[in-house]
Amino acid sequence: MADLTTLQGLRRSPLQDMAAELRNGSVQGDRAVLLREWPFLTMVNIRVEPGSETAGRIEGVLGASLPQQCGDVTGDGAHSVLWLGPDEWLVISQAAPESLVGSLQSAAEGGRAQIVDVSANRTVVEVTGPGAREVLEKGCPTDLHPRAFADNTAISTSLARVPVLLWKVDANTFRVMPRASLASYVGVWLLDAVAEFGPRASAVEGV
Amino acid sequence: MLQIKCPWCGLRDETEYKYGGQAHVAYPEDPAALSDEEWAQYLFFRDNPKGPFAERWVHSGGCRKWFNAVRDTRTYEVLAVYTNNDPRPEISPEITATGVAAGGQ
Amino acid sequence: MANSMPGEHPEWLWRDPDPKSSYDAVVIGGGGHGLATAYYLAKNHGMTNIAILEKGWLAGGNMARNTTIIRSNYLWDESAAIYEHALKLWEQLPEELDYDFLFSQRGVLNLAHSLQDVRDSVRRVEANRLNGVDAEWLTAEEVAKVCPIINISPDVRYPVLGATYQPRAGIAKHDHVAWAFARACDAMGVDIIQNCEVTGFIKDGNRVTGVETTRGRILSDTVGMVAAGHSSVLAEKAGFRLPVQSHPLQALVSELYEPVHPTVVMSNYVHVYVSQAHKGELVMGAGVDQYNGYGQRGSFHVIEHQMAAALELFPIFGRAHLLRTWGGIVDVCPDASPIIGATPVDGLYVNAGWGTGGFKATPAAGWVMAHTMATGESHELNQPFGLERFTTGHLIDEHGAAGVAH
Repeated sequence: MADLTTLQGLRRSPLQDMAAELRNGSVQGDRAVLLREWPFLTMVNIRVEPGSETAGRIEGVLGASLPQQCGDVTGDGAHSVLWLGPDEWLVISQAAPESLVGSLQSAAEGGRAQIVDVSANRTVVEVTGPGAREVLEKGCPTDLHPRAFADNTAISTSLARVPVLLWKVDANTFRVMPRASLASYVGVWLLDAVAEFGPRASAVEGV
Repeated sequence: MLQIKCPWCGLRDETEYKYGGQAHVAYPEDPAALSDEEWAQYLFFRDNPKGPFAERWVHSGGCRKWFNAVRDTRTYEVLAVYTNNDPRPEISPEITATGVAAGGQ
Repeated sequence: MANSMPGEHPEWLWRDPDPKSSYDAVVIGGGGHGLATAYYLAKNHGMTNIAILEKGWLAGGNMARNTTIIRSNYLWDESAAIYEHALKLWEQLPEELDYDFLFSQRGVLNLAHSLQDVRDSVRRVEANRLNGVDAEWLTAEEVAKVCPIINISPDVRYPVLGATYQPRAGIAKHDHVAWAFARACDAMGVDIIQNCEVTGFIKDGNRVTGVETTRGRILSDTVGMVAAGHSSVLAEKAGFRLPVQSHPLQALVSELYEPVHPTVVMSNYVHVYVSQAHKGELVMGAGVDQYNGYGQRGSFHVIEHQMAAALELFPIFGRAHLLRTWGGIVDVCPDASPIIGATPVDGLYVNAGWGTGGFKATPAAGWVMAHTMATGESHELNQPFGLERFTTGHLIDEHGAAGVAH
């Protein structure tokens, strides 16, 4: 097997080259919006019949149930489990992918399930601050108002016409997860979208 | 823009969906036994009613699941959505005839 | 030419007759194709005891809603033959009908934006030339000479790599075309009957003998269905199915501007087409709405997408204002080619399935439909376009040439 330690050192995140732009392009003030990539989170796609014995064993490894409703997120720290479809979920975790995938695959052995490491499929852009929701509302067709979109909700939808997973952690914290190849487009769109919400961080800090 | 209620994700904009044409068209059990005319009917001919139409949609921007809808091609109103395992729902003759339910809307 | 000027035509260009109880032939549909069919039935075949039955008002369906592009640069021999026949007729019709319907041969550019697009386009140019259709391949710089406002910068997402160019292509004023045909039909004795919807077919065995209408029963043993958008509805009444699906197709115009756009530009890849009408509106359109629909309206995001594509190609439109959008109903065939010919019912003929591009074919469609109705046999130009091709498998796949609605 390849030396993963070496490979990890060579790995580049989809928005690595935009890190400074995102930092400097964030805006400050009453409606501040901070943009930041959270790279290299472990993501594992799971497909299994919900309620089956195999699903039960998978839930045991995750320490969380597989959520049953669109928008629901389960898990409390180690692994978060997002609903993608009636028989499909995405685990987001800070655990090492090979160990998490390994234990999930062991748990699923003999059953009908699909466990795939998709960590390189998407990246995470954190959009935080009191202006975060309004910025996303400019390009997302889903109603993001708190009456319709509660804390700790994650859905598949679109932002600026490209597909993303959108995870609202709390009122001022959203995680936008575009596919890697569309990440820079989303980054550029966000930099433009936040402009009207306050002075750029670069202007304030004199960068 | 249409808004369609995905059976799993709820009401979403049309931009999240792709259209799949007429629903309930079964693949022939024994294609080789069909005449050329019968094969042409299966391959190229679909219903095209002016009124309620049972059709397929896929929530490609959401849960990526296929499902069926009955939609009125005159008003574009979605009259019912149902999964592939459900039978086609009955649509009232009144709606079929006029495109609107009793009492207007 | 002794053409009358638009706007100076007399108050009534045709009579408003009550339907007679029977005719030698009946054409269902008073749009461009129906009018052209009646015109050539009378002119080429001497059949003047005929009627056009229109459920609404004359030329109020797709004839009122299309974007008037005329060209003949289709890929396959069968298509090139019929569309080129149409273009040759367009070139003589203003004089023949004594009506200046503003036919303007300003050319059409079909842009190529990828290597495969270039290959397909060059192939189509060569195919066109073999069929006697004027076609050229232009480089991006040559495109800019024909149409200076196109953005040929290599920096855009889908740069213009070149284009096919058909100089004889162009536009015409659609309502004037309808009025010109209607006046000529009327003068030869054709009854144009409006507000007359066909509600059923009268048959003797498998032979059509007439139609039931909202204005009474009209007998005729030769009936032509020329009712784009509603072909399936009529076919169902007659007892057979057509391989067409009816979709909304939208278009839009800007406010009036000075002449800035000298030709017609179409792009399958960026997905928009643009011309400028004589009055000055920029006329734009693109593809159909994805769902079946008879509502003569579509979804706004489709319009939004068309405008985004137009801005990509024409940055100068950045401050242009949208004036209005509208929709029609188009019958789309599986192979993006029309159906013209006999039906399973004897004496009943169909002209349908032109999808998004029927206007350009108006005179040729009328020519061959008239021949088919008058003689009971297909003309050589519509022989390949019969319903039977879906059984024989001899499809005429024009998705490339018809890739952007027009």
